[in-house]
Amino acid sequence: MAVVDPSIASVAKARPDNRQARAGWGLVTPALTLMGLILLVPIVVAGVLSFTNYSLGNPGFDWVGVQNYERLFTRSTYEKMFVATFKYVVTVVPISVGLGLGAALLVHSLGRLGDIYKTIYFLPVMATLLAMAIAWEFMLHPTIGMVNRTLEMACGTWFEALPFFANGCAEGFPLWLGDRDYAIWVVCFIGIWQGFGFNMVLFLAGLTSVHRELYHAAEMDGARSAWERFRLVTWPALGPTTVFVVTISCIRAFQVFDTIEAFWPQGGGPNKSAYVMMFAIFEKGIQQNLIGIGSAITMLFLVFVMFLTLIQRWLVERKVHY
Amino acid sequence: MSGLHIASVTKDFGETPVLKGVTLDVKDGEFISLVGPSGCGKSTLLRIIAGLEAPTSGTVTIGGTDVTQVRAADRNLSMVFQSYALYPHLTVAENIAVPLQMRQMTALQRLPVLGGLMPGAQTQKQDIAKAVRHAATMLEIATLLDRKPGQLSGGQRQRVALGRALVRDPAAFLLDEPLSNLDAKLRVQTRSEIAELHRSLKATFIYVTHDQVEAMTMSDRIAVMMGGEILQCAAPDVIYEDPDDIRVAEFIGSPKINILPVERNGAELTVFGQVLSSRFSVDSPQIMQMGLRPEALRLTQSAPRLIGRVVHFENLGAEVFAQVALDSDGSRVTLRAMPAQRQSLVLGTQVGLTFDLSAAMMFDADGTRLRRVEVAANRAPEVA
Amino acid sequence: MTRDWWKHMLLILGTIIVLAPFYMMVSYSFKSPGEIDRGEGGFFGRQEMMIDPRCVALRQPGRADIDAARNRFPGEDDAGIQAALLAETEATCSMRPVVFNYSKAFTEAPLVLYLLNGVIVTVSIFLIQVVVALPAAYALAKLKFWGREAVFALVLFCLLIPVHAIALPLYIGLAKLGLTNTYAALVVPWTISVFGIFLMRQFFMTVPDDLIDAARMDGMAEFAIVWRVMLPTAIPALLAFAIFSVVAHWNDYFWPRIVVTGNRDLFTPPLGLREFKGDGDGSFFGPMMATATVIVTPLIVAFLLAQRRFIEGITLSGMK
Repeated sequence: MAVVDPSIASVAKARPDNRQARAGWGLVTPALTLMGLILLVPIVVAGVLSFTNYSLGNPGFDWVGVQNYERLFTRSTYEKMFVATFKYVVTVVPISVGLGLGAALLVHSLGRLGDIYKTIYFLPVMATLLAMAIAWEFMLHPTIGMVNRTLEMACGTWFEALPFFANGCAEGFPLWLGDRDYAIWVVCFIGIWQGFGFNMVLFLAGLTSVHRELYHAAEMDGARSAWERFRLVTWPALGPTTVFVVTISCIRAFQVFDTIEAFWPQGGGPNKSAYVMMFAIFEKGIQQNLIGIGSAITMLFLVFVMFLTLIQRWLVERKVHY
Repeated sequence: MSGLHIASVTKDFGETPVLKGVTLDVKDGEFISLVGPSGCGKSTLLRIIAGLEAPTSGTVTIGGTDVTQVRAADRNLSMVFQSYALYPHLTVAENIAVPLQMRQMTALQRLPVLGGLMPGAQTQKQDIAKAVRHAATMLEIATLLDRKPGQLSGGQRQRVALGRALVRDPAAFLLDEPLSNLDAKLRVQTRSEIAELHRSLKATFIYVTHDQVEAMTMSDRIAVMMGGEILQCAAPDVIYEDPDDIRVAEFIGSPKINILPVERNGAELTVFGQVLSSRFSVDSPQIMQMGLRPEALRLTQSAPRLIGRVVHFENLGAEVFAQVALDSDGSRVTLRAMPAQRQSLVLGTQVGLTFDLSAAMMFDADGTRLRRVEVAANRAPEVA
Repeated sequence: MTRDWWKHMLLILGTIIVLAPFYMMVSYSFKSPGEIDRGEGGFFGRQEMMIDPRCVALRQPGRADIDAARNRFPGEDDAGIQAALLAETEATCSMRPVVFNYSKAFTEAPLVLYLLNGVIVTVSIFLIQVVVALPAAYALAKLKFWGREAVFALVLFCLLIPVHAIALPLYIGLAKLGLTNTYAALVVPWTISVFGIFLMRQFFMTVPDDLIDAARMDGMAEFAIVWRVMLPTAIPALLAFAIFSVVAHWNDYFWPRIVVTGNRDLFTPPLGLREFKGDGDGSFFGPMMATATVIVTPLIVAFLLAQRRFIEGITLSGMK
């Protein structure tokens, strides 16, 4: 036993590293291949096709240069697309983050009693958005919907002093989804309704990690009001959570599609007032087979989303050094 | 001027009583330690003094004013927390400045950018910066002022926490186990530094610890707490040499005090059948407990009071401790001896032990000290 | 409690808004069309017997039926027999609204098939994701090999790409391969979960090396270590990931909408619901809401039973 064949010894010394390398690549290869085929190649393909007039079923295509991008920035349809997307993101993100934070603070301060609200507010996150969109569509039905029925109950009370109610009682309440002044805001509302519970849960996780002694220290240091304690302890502690919540809300907001498609299968809302980017990709690229323009929107979309994520990573890196 | 008075404070958490009527007087400038095993209520008492917790009944008075209903922020007390509780997003300088900003600047002046434009804000800021620098210099952390707490070592964080406490002039400093997160060496060093700080500031310190050595070395007085009560509050030497209660005697002192059963038969006082005193005439319980510090025991060849076998031996260099299993009932006693006596303490050897009756403390079965009995026993020594 | 009353007021207001569509969805699934139209009947509706007009229309008694039934109604003339038969049909076609709504939901469209498709798709997505991601995560966390850092950097980059965003090129690829309108099309784009790799890698980093070395001493190959040592230790993390993955793909509408066109046999639950909405007239509100309820219920019930795990799983992405 004491005598070791020198050749075996040297083999044993050299092998573990080699074997690990081979095993490592062996285990990584399937994932790498799929990553390349499913995530990276399509981006390149979209990049290339965005400079062409390709259509599925056509044998070939022509290079059209930046014509697709030029259209994106000149045609009024796409202006409406940018406006609708921008409106949606700029409305949904701050409100759903704000409501999420507010709900988290309230729920957290109630202790175990608050758990019931946590459960309820999380329900929309779990539910199939398409089904809930249809439910909302019924709620918002101009004549038999619950929303307008509830609003009508206010007729004849002092609510009628408000111009909105006065108008509604006299001429009927808004059509909501059919009204181009309301359509995008209704979609925003549903986005907020669906998303704020998710943000709340993330904030709650952040809140539980705040050390309780910090609040006591703040009290001893003379922070008398809840607001001062929030500014001194809670808000800084939630910094990284907030950055993350804002980014993920942005990315989710950019991807809004289900509600729009459910409400207006054609055309993206009254007067294209809810014609958001994902819907545009769907309509142009897939329904109308205008792959070139669809690819151009895809590329633009990717740029937005990656830009946002990179900002988030940069902010988090900076804050990591507590 | 700013003494502290705590009068029959009780605290229940739900059904469980945590404090059962605590009364304590702290004189101005005194360093007092609250010491006891974990769960004895010492931290709760400190938090009640701080105002972070409301007592179920009883009052807290600071400098003659009843502050029981006053909130923590308005009690003018400073506190050092066990976890230091530094604001992670603020630099050391900003951390130390917080209590001054909160107290001296208005809410408007504290606004991030606009605040600087408010009247008086600039001079306020300079005053605060000066106070911060002064505190930092005193604690030798002036070079760290621009760092964040995350970049500091445990000892440095501890100093920042101290700095935040002493940057203003509070009625008292409350310290909640401030050394428990430091390593052993740093703890010894910081211990003496805090004691020095106390001497130079001449301020009132209330110090909570579970470590009897910290309490013994730093305090003017020690309050030993157990089961939600203060068992005894006195100077360290009194607590050690003249405890009122067997629990105090057992908690303070390392190695632990030896407890031996003592019986009285008429006028005879015996331990394991050995007569201690035969003309004992004072009224006392039949069964008592006798406490003997390890240094009260000595080796003897002639007429030992206790006989046993050495079962364990610890050499600490300057002194040695030996555990002796008594022949009478197998119970162990600890003995402190000089290194020179090592050869007579070889493991397994039989040794005889004796002690002066004057060094023995008598307690009744419930643990209450029986000073009368001790005096009587000493006055009537055995007729050898 | 009394001090917190305003907090409860605010939160209860939120609760009403959050629950309103759920309330309405379930309530409509109980009611008759008339009650829905008029907005009456409370939550459960009155559950009065109602007659299904389509059912009656389908069973309109013809000449042959009348002749066949002649001896059952002796002494009646043709008109009388017809009336009697009509009454019988109406009796068989009348039912409680709740029964009507839910039976319509399952008979009007192959809802069971849709649900089955949903299960097949979500389960196969999850299984393939694990099979692909787990070995890669193990290699990235525990094996030293040349190029590992580069691979991990690539993983971090791919985390930036939302799969929905590149739906168009993926669709073109699948169309070129002739794979649209197949199960493969529903599953393939999701087989690689970069997030799964990242998550499991972070988890494996916390597994002590000693465990793996012990397995190697016992003579296991790396591949065996992944499945026999790492997989069992990763069960809690995998469970969270499973919830994350299943919820996302059960509820997904965008991708199935793109790659499944027309072929009803491949519809996932959201597509089925969409189809229902597309061809239903107003009187189908009840059955449609019944369908919606059926689709939403499994996840909601699972969530209510294992709240902590679900919240953990859905917010996984927050742990980056």
